[in-house]
Amino acid sequence: MAKTIEQGITRREFLVRSTAVAGGAFLSIGVGPSLVAGKAEAAAATSSYTPSIWFTMTADGTTTMHIVKAEMGQHIGTAFAQIIADELEVPWDKVKIDMPLESVENFAIYGLAYTVNSGSVTTEFDRLSRAGALGRIALTEAGCKLLKAKLTDCHAEQGRVIDKASGRSIGYGEILQKVKLDRTFKYPDEFKQVKLKDRSQYKIIGRSVPALDIPAKTNGQAKYGMDVFLPGMAYGSLVPPRSRYKSKVLSIDDSEAKKIPGFLKAVKIDDSIGKCTGWVVALAETFPAAVKAAKALKIESDPGPYGKLSLSDIMEEFSSLADKPQESAAWVLEGDVEKAIPAADKTVQAEYTSDMVCHATMEPFNCVVQHASDDSWHVHIGTQSTSFARMTLNGYLSQVLNKKPEELKIYVHQYILGGGFGGKQDYDDILAAAYCVKELGRPVKLIQTRESQFATSFPRTPTYHRMKAGLKNGQLDAMNHDIVCGWMGPRFAVGKQFNNGTDWLQLDSVDGKKADIDQWSIGGSDHWYHLPNHRVRAWNSDRTTWAVQASALRTVSNSYNMFVVESFIDECAHAAGRDPLEFRLAMLNGKGGNRGIPNAGYAPGTGSDYYMDQLWISLPWPQDKSWIPYESGTVGGALRLANCLRVAAGKAGWGSRKLPPNTALGLAVSSAEERQSPTWVAGVAEVTVDPATGKYRINKLTIAMDMGIAINPDNVKAQIMGSALWGASQIMSERLTYKDGAIEQTNFHEYLPIRQVDVPEFDIELIESGRHPVGVGEPASTLVAPAVANAIYNAVGARVRHMPITPQAVLEAIKSKKA
Amino acid sequence: MPTLKINGQSYFSDSPPDTPLLWVIREELRLTGTRFGCGLGLCGSCTVHLNGQAVRSCMVKVGEVGDAAVTTIEGLDPADAHPVQKAWVDLQVPQCGYCQSGQIMQAAALLAQNPNPTDKQIVEGMNGNLCRCATYPRIVGAVRKAATMMKETSNG
Repeated sequence: MAKTIEQGITRREFLVRSTAVAGGAFLSIGVGPSLVAGKAEAAAATSSYTPSIWFTMTADGTTTMHIVKAEMGQHIGTAFAQIIADELEVPWDKVKIDMPLESVENFAIYGLAYTVNSGSVTTEFDRLSRAGALGRIALTEAGCKLLKAKLTDCHAEQGRVIDKASGRSIGYGEILQKVKLDRTFKYPDEFKQVKLKDRSQYKIIGRSVPALDIPAKTNGQAKYGMDVFLPGMAYGSLVPPRSRYKSKVLSIDDSEAKKIPGFLKAVKIDDSIGKCTGWVVALAETFPAAVKAAKALKIESDPGPYGKLSLSDIMEEFSSLADKPQESAAWVLEGDVEKAIPAADKTVQAEYTSDMVCHATMEPFNCVVQHASDDSWHVHIGTQSTSFARMTLNGYLSQVLNKKPEELKIYVHQYILGGGFGGKQDYDDILAAAYCVKELGRPVKLIQTRESQFATSFPRTPTYHRMKAGLKNGQLDAMNHDIVCGWMGPRFAVGKQFNNGTDWLQLDSVDGKKADIDQWSIGGSDHWYHLPNHRVRAWNSDRTTWAVQASALRTVSNSYNMFVVESFIDECAHAAGRDPLEFRLAMLNGKGGNRGIPNAGYAPGTGSDYYMDQLWISLPWPQDKSWIPYESGTVGGALRLANCLRVAAGKAGWGSRKLPPNTALGLAVSSAEERQSPTWVAGVAEVTVDPATGKYRINKLTIAMDMGIAINPDNVKAQIMGSALWGASQIMSERLTYKDGAIEQTNFHEYLPIRQVDVPEFDIELIESGRHPVGVGEPASTLVAPAVANAIYNAVGARVRHMPITPQAVLEAIKSKKA
Repeated sequence: MPTLKINGQSYFSDSPPDTPLLWVIREELRLTGTRFGCGLGLCGSCTVHLNGQAVRSCMVKVGEVGDAAVTTIEGLDPADAHPVQKAWVDLQVPQCGYCQSGQIMQAAALLAQNPNPTDKQIVEGMNGNLCRCATYPRIVGAVRKAATMMKETSNG
């Protein structure tokens, strides 16, 4: 899947044009014929003017923003529309949003539709602003002509072009009706020259306008993929496969299933590309009949290569891998920990582990697939991987239908998602449903039951960490962090070995081996504390990756690495006899690589400087680095993180509040998502522990976040609260286990996300530093686990080095302290 | 062939009587606002009213419904302006929105029974409804606000 986005797209101009249509005209911004190069599949689509990448304005002034990012609870459509509308100067009540169809043609126009890494606002803010500004400029020029005014006297405001000399004005809609716009902007020069608004001039950005997708979510009208009905549609229900991965169906006995009215057939899914392994789908006229039939099928399976593997085996392997430094790849290498730690006044050592968890979106995976009469394939789904889903289905169908990939026409109709959290970037269900369509000759709606969903979930890898630190003069002088886990990158087919030796996503180790290293599995360990000696080494347990189908889960590796790093930093502070706040602040001094380099990532040469843009780019933007389009989120560096920490600690009353017995505060900071795209956030948890039972309650979370600019402050607060509670859920109760090749949990009586009764009080502070806006939907989730772990320690002296923290583990830690 | 009274209208369903009401509502009758989450009454996404009581429609067999009046999110208010719905928009509760039909139906039934709930009663009354986006704090706030709105309406 990687290769398809490798081709750089060179652009030379953007066109702003209006087109006469029946009953009026519309304005759009598109790419000109010369703008998409080197791409066979794109050529057809761009032989003529291609309208409307970002928005379309109709003659009544209504402006529809086209949102390529998945809508999964972050209200991204509203944020994007706010950004465009502000520069375009359209009134907010004239704004609508829609989601483009994913196809080969539209891929060439809109670019990669893929929503991950809290990157949507970070990567799109600048281009959306400029797109809006281009529209405004073209409309202002045209309006000025119509008003017979001087251009210098004209400006646009809330959907009108105003001549300040005469005081006359003309509406955008009227302009579109009267003249044909045809304005070209040279790229990159005229793009660069566009003068964007100063923050003080924003009218819609920074306003808590109500989210455009919310009303439909309160009256049953919101449409998810599951709400699609097609004529002649059958239903599919997946039989939970014997193993999470690589079980093999030997025989299917459908004699009992045949007695169920409406049962159509059992389909063994073609799993030759290594997806949907061991899957059998029961097809029926209704979904309840399909569920009954799936239960009635007697399937004999070979459990496959992982059929005897259990979580305990995985953890044993992790520990033995960490004994083999020669097999590691270094991710951070500063100073020399090998020399510094033995020379330290005091050393601190600890082992940390984390369990698997999964996304458990309230909307289970589902999709509707149709093979239309014109031979095209249509997928109806809410997915984070809109483009990759189409590409993978293309490859899969070409194989199972024995056709050339280019002969297939595939369209992905995107709907809103009932939760994503990184889980809906996999799309095995689409392949399975398409295969059922091929076998049945009818459209199929495949709905995962909660049981089949858990059995085929894409968990966060279990992890194992060895931490070692050297203290000198009460300061942290050296820190070594060894991480063993299953790397998800290889499963997503990223890395050199999959891409003819070219790097995509996998980074190089910094130890001279230049080995592949999976940022998604290691990131977060490269924290922003300034240390003379710092090393992070990583091991990949490839078997684990495949056996459990390791995947990205909200903040990816930050979710465990922040727990480990921030817990261990607290351990070091206590070992040094220092206050954990003051200990942290002393190291968040913005020195060295932690100063944050404008438009640069971690250590030059080791990572991609424009990581976010290179990976998650939505067209159009240059990939030749001729112009860096926006300020890096790293600007200001660790000093911004220190600022958040001061604010959060101050608001929570760190060191100044008298707390009840067995109650304490715990601190943590986070810079998720990646080193190159940090959102600065700090938090304080107030926790009460019952020393008799080990049970604990999070009373309050105080969180301070510097996201640069809050596009919609009320929504930013909602996102911070929701993500923080996600973090609370992870530390308190979520745990997925794996035995004999299969995931053990089946439904919400065994897998336990947080509920109302465990919700703490919140105090949230938005620190709008005015820097480039960054993602807010995930980062706060990473704070809560370590802040709670640190608070538990501060309350009762129990240090628990495993996530989640069970009451039993707290009790044991209390006992071991006494022993 | 059972006749169902849903949102004041009569529907005929030819599903077998042991079919969960949820699937009749959303897939057969296509009132898709009622959502499937777990199938075991553990998450509350499929909550509807049966004679005004909140029930998990995945746990009710269609053959058991009889004459009972079924209300789904689509029928909660003719103008989609039930105080709970208004409060949900005012406080911008939904994120992904998938569980929110169930949350709203649960909250409406809660307030019908207890127009003046304490925060503790709201939390307990809403505890059976999972929200993976964890919009919980705003849910409590919105139930509180809806209670106030209902009081103002009945007083005014």
